[in-house]
Amino acid sequence: MKTFADVHIGDTLGPVHQFVSKDQCRKYANSAGLPAARFTDDEGARKEGLPGIILPGNMSLGLLSKLVTDWIGYDGGARMIRLSTTYRVPVQPDHTLTFQGFITHTTEAERRAEIDVWIENEEAERLVTGTATVQFDK
Amino acid sequence: MATTLDLHTHSEASEDSRAPVEAYLNWIRLRHAERPLDGIVLTEHRQFNRDADYRHLEDKFGVMVLRASEVETNYGHVLVYGVNEDMLRRFDFANIRLDAQELIDEVVKMGGLAVPCHPGRPNIGLYEHYEKRPPLENVVAVEVLNGGSRKGEDERSAELVRRYGYSAVGGSDSHLVSLIGLCATRFAGAIRSVDDLVRELKSGDYEPVDFRPRRKPVPHAEAVQTR
Repeated sequence: MKTFADVHIGDTLGPVHQFVSKDQCRKYANSAGLPAARFTDDEGARKEGLPGIILPGNMSLGLLSKLVTDWIGYDGGARMIRLSTTYRVPVQPDHTLTFQGFITHTTEAERRAEIDVWIENEEAERLVTGTATVQFDK
Repeated sequence: MATTLDLHTHSEASEDSRAPVEAYLNWIRLRHAERPLDGIVLTEHRQFNRDADYRHLEDKFGVMVLRASEVETNYGHVLVYGVNEDMLRRFDFANIRLDAQELIDEVVKMGGLAVPCHPGRPNIGLYEHYEKRPPLENVVAVEVLNGGSRKGEDERSAELVRRYGYSAVGGSDSHLVSLIGLCATRFAGAIRSVDDLVRELKSGDYEPVDFRPRRKPVPHAEAVQTR
């Protein structure tokens, strides 16, 4: 079980490389009730001025959330209590995305860790950036 | 004595950043071998925090903290160094349609310097505005290296430097703690105050420095199976 004592400023989460396919993007959009063309249909997305379909923001948020919760582990003792994101560049499927994070500061009294997180494309452009807070029980 | 400063940073005082100044300075201490900064300049969006006092943090971490501002003009975003009461009376920094030429000229008269930032960025950068309107007069320097630039943006900024003879600076434009100091400016002279900074910026004796890590090519990952 991960405890607050295990956490050090500068520790990294990832990098995790994951290929996200168009099919996964469409499945997510449809199951999340987001059947807009920009998430499901290349031609429709291009009519909106996009290069093709893009990941819904909530899908990027979910994938970043997984980066943090995988790091925490699933045996109790800590939980993610906040995750906020800034969408800088549309995230396109059919690419290998890199998910990464850094522990940037901690608060001893509250046993919390603050984490920078982001998604990069193959060219190391940061597409989505954010911060997360993890609360430890002990 | 040379001084290396990150000239473009945003702390949690800016609405789109959650980075505390203390965490920035601690990160600089931890990463000093990779990003050898002597200090940072906080350039909060559309504001100047005249009452902020970071002296105790400077003493604790041995890193200088200077204050400036990033404002919005009809030629894109501009960093204002040497902000003083005269400037704050003359300009409403919260106004997102400041006149760039007026700002550049007046700030110099009032003892400061205005430096267009991320000039290669669409919509908010000088490059795109220069394609539609005459170039600004009396620009001394522009930000050529920006830690948040997308592919091609720094190259467009460098083209402005070549075309118009501007001096070039660098800054991280960090909104996250771990991105502090990715780009910076190395000054030939010693800088210990905002007045020193303005003097050195006017001298032209500096260069942008790039501390961004060179990442290996990303391996092609396998698709995660979904049901």
